[in-house]
Amino acid sequence: MSDLGNRSSVTGPQPIGERFVVPPAMLAAAENILELLAQGQRAELETLVAAKATGELGELLDALAPGAYQSHEIIAHAKANNHYYLKARLFGARAAPFTLQLRLGEHAGRWIIWEAVNLSGGRTAWTR
Amino acid sequence: MQKMIAVDRLARPDEQILVPVERIREARIDQRLLANNVMPFEEDFLKGRLHGIATGEMQAMEAAGRTLFDFPDAPWEFQLDMARQVWDESRHAEIFSKLLEYVGSYLGEFPESEILWSCTQVDDPACRVAGINRGLEGLACDVFEQIIRMGQKMGDPIIERAVDYVLADEITHVRMGSKWMRKLTEGDPERLQRAQQFQDNIDALFNFDGFRTSKEAAPQVPLMLGSRQVDFDATLTISRETRLLAGFTDEEIDRLMKAAARSSAY
Repeated sequence: MSDLGNRSSVTGPQPIGERFVVPPAMLAAAENILELLAQGQRAELETLVAAKATGELGELLDALAPGAYQSHEIIAHAKANNHYYLKARLFGARAAPFTLQLRLGEHAGRWIIWEAVNLSGGRTAWTR
Repeated sequence: MQKMIAVDRLARPDEQILVPVERIREARIDQRLLANNVMPFEEDFLKGRLHGIATGEMQAMEAAGRTLFDFPDAPWEFQLDMARQVWDESRHAEIFSKLLEYVGSYLGEFPESEILWSCTQVDDPACRVAGINRGLEGLACDVFEQIIRMGQKMGDPIIERAVDYVLADEITHVRMGSKWMRKLTEGDPERLQRAQQFQDNIDALFNFDGFRTSKEAAPQVPLMLGSRQVDFDATLTISRETRLLAGFTDEEIDRLMKAAARSSAY
């Protein structure tokens, strides 16, 4: 049930509600998944994906140049109830940065991939 | 500079997560939630609703700006109205960003949907104002009236007054849309019909499969206010009084109510 905040503080200290804490387990799972993506560890990743997203994950892996990425960065995350969208970028010395978006959600005690989208070449910060 | 920006080309900085509304619905279904919109009985309700409005205000600002840019041959007074709307929407975006902080959230905590921008995808200014100013801003009148009532029930003058301030502007935007939809289609009944049809499509898009009722017919659900429990609407309500103030006719409001009821029957 939603909690609309503590009304006794309406005209006093703000904010009236507390921030949700991003689950550390989700962030840890994200780091692991991004590492596996950078390394192109297809078999291991296939154990971390919801059945409905296997096709998307396959397309994402196909778009990644094998062995080209050495590091990654989580750019943003956003909450969709108990799932999290995650935007990230993979970097490699001889490859252009690769931007992707995942949706992670907990299933049977593990954070797995529910959506995987290639954002490289997609929208930018400016529309011209 | 490019005109008629497609939905998937809408610009956003890296740290914003923009997701097509179909994907957001899918995410909700995957979590065994109702497909449409945050509902009052969900933990995220107030934060999620205010976040949706804050990003909607940004897209409304961009939409009015793009309408100004996309139709340079439109009458000067039309352009002035659109420019004024950009200014209004930018204030609204700021107000809702601050309200987000007020309730313990922040811009970017939730994904932004592309749904409002998808309603700009038409190359006739009469359709554009019918869809955005009458369709979407009409919806905003309903949503804001409901949040104002919620603020009153919560005993929260900050939410109540901030949203009331924004609602006053939205009412003028609907009136502006009605004026220009008629003026731009004068002597061209077919064009008027196309504009009305475009608005009808947008109204249908926001019927939320029957999760809209009049406020009198809204079932009540319990919400927590600290340790106190209050009852509030379980549906997104349609506000006849506010829509009348915005210049919709009783007939138009009846049609919207009937469409929502039909949607519910499905």
